[in-house]
Amino acid sequence: MSSTLLECRGLTMKFGGLVALNELDLDIRAGEVLGLLGPNGSGKTTFFNVVTGIYAASAGAIRYEGSDISKLSPQQINRCGITRTFQRSRLCLELSVFDNIMIGDHQRLNNGLWFNLMQRARLETQIREAVDRARELAATFSRTLSEKLFEPAGSVTMIDRRRIEICRALISQPKLLLLDEPSAGMTHEETRELMDDILLVRKRIPGLTVVIIEHEMNVIERITNRCVVLNYGRRLCEGTYREIASNADVQQAYLGQS
Amino acid sequence: MRTGNGEAIPVNAMDIGFIGQHVWNGVMLGVIYAMVAVGFTLFFGVLDVIKFSHGDVLTLGGFVGLATYLGLQRAGVVSPLIQLTAVLAASIGSMALLGALIARYLVLPMRNAPAFITLLITLMIGTVIRESIRLFYPNGSNPQPFPQLLPTHSSHLGSFTLRTDTLILVAAGVTVIWLVHMLVNHTRLGLAIRAVAQDSETARIMGINFRWVVLATFGLGSGLAALAGLMNGMFYSEVYFGNGLMLAVIGFSAAVIGGLGNIYGAILGGFLFAAIQIATVVVLPLPSAYKEVIAFGMVIVLLAFKPTGLIGEKSSERV
Amino acid sequence: MAQKNATSLLAAIVGIALLTGFSIYALHAENEVSMLILLAAGLGGAFVAHKSGFAARATQGLQTHRQAGNLCIVFAFAVVVLVFRNDHFALLQLATLLLYSAVCIGLNLQIGYCGVMNFAGAAFFGVGAYTAAVLATHTQVPHPLVLLAGGLAAALIGSVLLLPVLRTRGHYAALVTIAFGTMFRSFLEVNDTLGGPQGLTVPGLQILGWKLSDGPELFGVSFSFYVNYVILAFALVTAMFILTKRIKRSWIGLSLDAVRIDETAASTFGIHIVRWKITAFVIGNLFAGIAGAFFAMMTGFVAPTNFTLADSLILLSIVVLGGIGNLWGILPAAAIVLLLPEKLQAIQEYRFLLYAVAVILILLFRPQGIFPRRLRAFIPGWGNAR
Repeated sequence: MSSTLLECRGLTMKFGGLVALNELDLDIRAGEVLGLLGPNGSGKTTFFNVVTGIYAASAGAIRYEGSDISKLSPQQINRCGITRTFQRSRLCLELSVFDNIMIGDHQRLNNGLWFNLMQRARLETQIREAVDRARELAATFSRTLSEKLFEPAGSVTMIDRRRIEICRALISQPKLLLLDEPSAGMTHEETRELMDDILLVRKRIPGLTVVIIEHEMNVIERITNRCVVLNYGRRLCEGTYREIASNADVQQAYLGQS
Repeated sequence: MRTGNGEAIPVNAMDIGFIGQHVWNGVMLGVIYAMVAVGFTLFFGVLDVIKFSHGDVLTLGGFVGLATYLGLQRAGVVSPLIQLTAVLAASIGSMALLGALIARYLVLPMRNAPAFITLLITLMIGTVIRESIRLFYPNGSNPQPFPQLLPTHSSHLGSFTLRTDTLILVAAGVTVIWLVHMLVNHTRLGLAIRAVAQDSETARIMGINFRWVVLATFGLGSGLAALAGLMNGMFYSEVYFGNGLMLAVIGFSAAVIGGLGNIYGAILGGFLFAAIQIATVVVLPLPSAYKEVIAFGMVIVLLAFKPTGLIGEKSSERV
Repeated sequence: MAQKNATSLLAAIVGIALLTGFSIYALHAENEVSMLILLAAGLGGAFVAHKSGFAARATQGLQTHRQAGNLCIVFAFAVVVLVFRNDHFALLQLATLLLYSAVCIGLNLQIGYCGVMNFAGAAFFGVGAYTAAVLATHTQVPHPLVLLAGGLAAALIGSVLLLPVLRTRGHYAALVTIAFGTMFRSFLEVNDTLGGPQGLTVPGLQILGWKLSDGPELFGVSFSFYVNYVILAFALVTAMFILTKRIKRSWIGLSLDAVRIDETAASTFGIHIVRWKITAFVIGNLFAGIAGAFFAMMTGFVAPTNFTLADSLILLSIVVLGGIGNLWGILPAAAIVLLLPEKLQAIQEYRFLLYAVAVILILLFRPQGIFPRRLRAFIPGWGNAR
C-alpha cells in the first residue's frame, strides 16, 4: 500500500473572475504514474503551475510528504524534489544542450563566487563529471542527442528538444516529475518513442512518481497506473484507464452533451 | 518661504492665492504628464513595448508647430484662428504619421526581440529626433521662443494670476483625455485596441487586423504627444530640444505608478507626479532641480511597495 | 594536425601584428584624409581576411594556443605604448579607451549575460569618479582603496536603486536606471558641495609611494607620465576581462543566462532570480565605479558634463556594436565609437546622431553585432564554439 506523496484539499485558483481550479481534491501516491486528463481549460496546467509555486493558490492546501507547500516559492519547491516540463517548450534555444540540461541541476551545483572564479581546477572537475552525467542521461533517450551535447538546443529536432526538457527535469534525480503534454505536436511514431523513454525513466530512478497530462489515449493506457479526470477545475472521476474511459460523465465532458 | 526659483517672498503673501497658483500650475503640469503617460500606457498595452522616443516626439511636435507658425507668418497669414488651426493640424498630423511609421518600420519588426532591444531602439530613435532638432533646426541648441497662439489676458484674484490661455489649455487637455477615454471605451477602434492589449493572438483569430490596430494606436499616442508638445510650448512660451527626455522619464514614471497598460492609471499617475513636484516646491526650500529627483525617489519607493502600480498592471505572460 | 596548429598560431600572430600596426597608424593619424584612407584600408583588409578564411584561422589559433596568444597581445600592447611613449594625448586617449571598455565589460555582464538593463553606465562611472574626488582630496585613504571605494559606491547606489524593482518585470529596472542616468547630472550641477557645474579637481594616483604623475625613465629613455596610467589601466581591464570570462565559463554564467532567457522556467529549477540579477548588477557596477575613480585621478578633474545620459547611450552603442554578450568585441567597438570622431573632426558634432542611427540599423539587421557571441565553452577549445 503506497503512501500519499502529494495531497490537495480544496485547492482553488482564481484569475480575476475566472475560476481555474475549483476546490480540487487530489491525491498522488508515491511511485505511481498518474494520468491527469480532462478537456481543454479544465485546469490541468494550472494545477501544475500551482503545485510548482508559479501561482499562489487562492485557497486550499497542498501537502507534500506531510508538509504544507502551498506558500513556498518555485525555488523552494524544486528543492523538495519536484520538477516539471512545460506545455509550451521552455528551453534556452541559444544555449547548448548540455547547458539546458544542467540548468535542471542548479541546486546541487556549486554556485559560489569564490569557487567559480578562483578554484578553477575543482570547477573543471565538477564540470567534467557533470558532462558525463548529462551524456549518460541523454544517451538513455537517444544516442544522437548525447552526441550533440555541445550543439545549440535550437538546432535539434522537436522530439529531441522534448527529451532535453525531460533530461533537464531528471538530472537532479527528483521524487516527483510533472510532465505537461509531452507528446504535443508529435507523430504517432515519435509519441511511441517518447513513451518508451518515459518507461525507461521509471526504471532508472526507482520510486519516481510521475504525473502526466496527456490527450493521447493510447499513451495514457500504456503507461499510467491510475487516471484522474478534471473538468471545470474539479475532479470528475478517477480510476484505471479502462474505468474512466467507459465512464459516461467523462465522455460527456470531452464530447459535450449527446 | 521661497518660490520655485529660490527667491524669498514675504510671509504675508502666503495666502490662498499663492497656494492656488501652485495648484493651478500643478493641474497644468498634470494634464501634460497625463497625456504623455497615456501614450506610454497605450503603446505598452498594445505591443508590450516602452516607446522611449515618446518624449522627443512631443518636442518635435512643438517644433513642427513653431515652424508652421513661422512659415505662415512669412506667408503673411495673420488670422490667429488660421494660425492655431494650421499649427494644430500640422503638428498633430505629422506626429501621428511619424508615430505610425516608427511603429511600422522600427518597432513592429522587433516585437519578438528581448525587451531590452526594443527599449534601446526606441531610446536611440529618441536620440535621433533630439539630435536632428539640435543640429538641423536653425540655432537648434538654444531654446526657441514659442508664439502666443491663444488669448493672453490674465485676471488677478489677489496674488493668484489666471492666464486665459492656461485656462484654455487645461480645458483642452482635460477634454482630449476625456475623448481618448471615450474612444478607447466606446468605439470599435477602442474595442479593438483593448482586445489586442489583452490577448493579441485571440484578437487576431477573431479577425482584428493586428497591424492596423498597432499603427492606429501609435498614431493616436503620437498625436497626443504632439498636442502635449504644443501645450507645453504655449505654457512656457518656449520649446527646447532637450525637453523631451525628462518628459519621457516623467511620463513613463507616471504610467508605471498607475500600472502599465491601464489608462486610468496613467491619468492618475500624471496628476500624482505633478502633485508631488508642486508639493516639493512649495514645502521644501530646495532648488527646482531637486523636485524631479524627489518626485522620482517617491516613485521608486511606491514601486517597492506596489510593484504593479496603484491600479494594477496588465499581465501578459502565459505559463 | 601539428602542421595545422602551427599555421593557425602563425595566423594569430600575424593577425595581432597587423592589428597592432593598424592601431598605431590610426592613433597617429593627424588629418582626416589619412584617417579616411586608413579606414578604407582597414575595411578592405577586414573583408579580405574574412573571405579568405584568414580571420577564422587566426581566431582558431588564439583559442587553441591561449598562452602564446595572450603573450602576443601583451607584447603588442607594450609595442604600442613604446611607440607613443611621449605622446601625451595619444596615451590619454588610449587610457580613456581602456577605462570605457572596463565599464562596457560591466555592462555586458549586466545586460548581455543576465539581462538586467542598465541605462546609467556613465552615471555609475561618475559615481566612482566623484567618490575618488571626494576621498582623495579630503581624506588620507590610500589610493588603491579609493579606487575600490569608487567601485563600492557605484555598486551600493546601484543596489539601492534596483532592489525595490527587481521583483517586477524588466522595464522597471530600465525606468530606474534611465531616470538615474538622466538626473545624475542635474543633481550634481545644483550641488555646490560637489563642485556644481564646474566640478572638482582630483589629485593624481599614488600607489605605495609610486606617483603615477611622474614620468618614468627606463634605460635613459623618458616616458610621458601617462604611460603609468595606461599600463595600470590595461592591467585593470585585463583583470576585469579575465574575471568576466571566468564568470561566463562557469555555473554562474549558466545561471545568469537562464535568468536572462526565461525567468519562469529558471525559477522552477531552483534559480533565485533576484539574487543573480543583483550579483550581475553589483559586479558590473563595481567595474564601472573603479574605472570611474581611476579616470578621475588620471585626468585630475571631474565635472558633471562627462556623465550624462548621452554618455550612457554611447556606452551602450559600444556594447551593441561589439556584440551584446561578446567581450572581445568591446575594444574594437570602443575604438570606433570613441576615437573615430576625434580623428574625423567633421563628424564630431554629429556623433550622437550617427551612433544612434548605427545602433538602430545594427539592432534591426544584425542584432548580434559585428562579432556575435559564441556558445559557452566551459573549457576552452571544447565542443563547437561557433
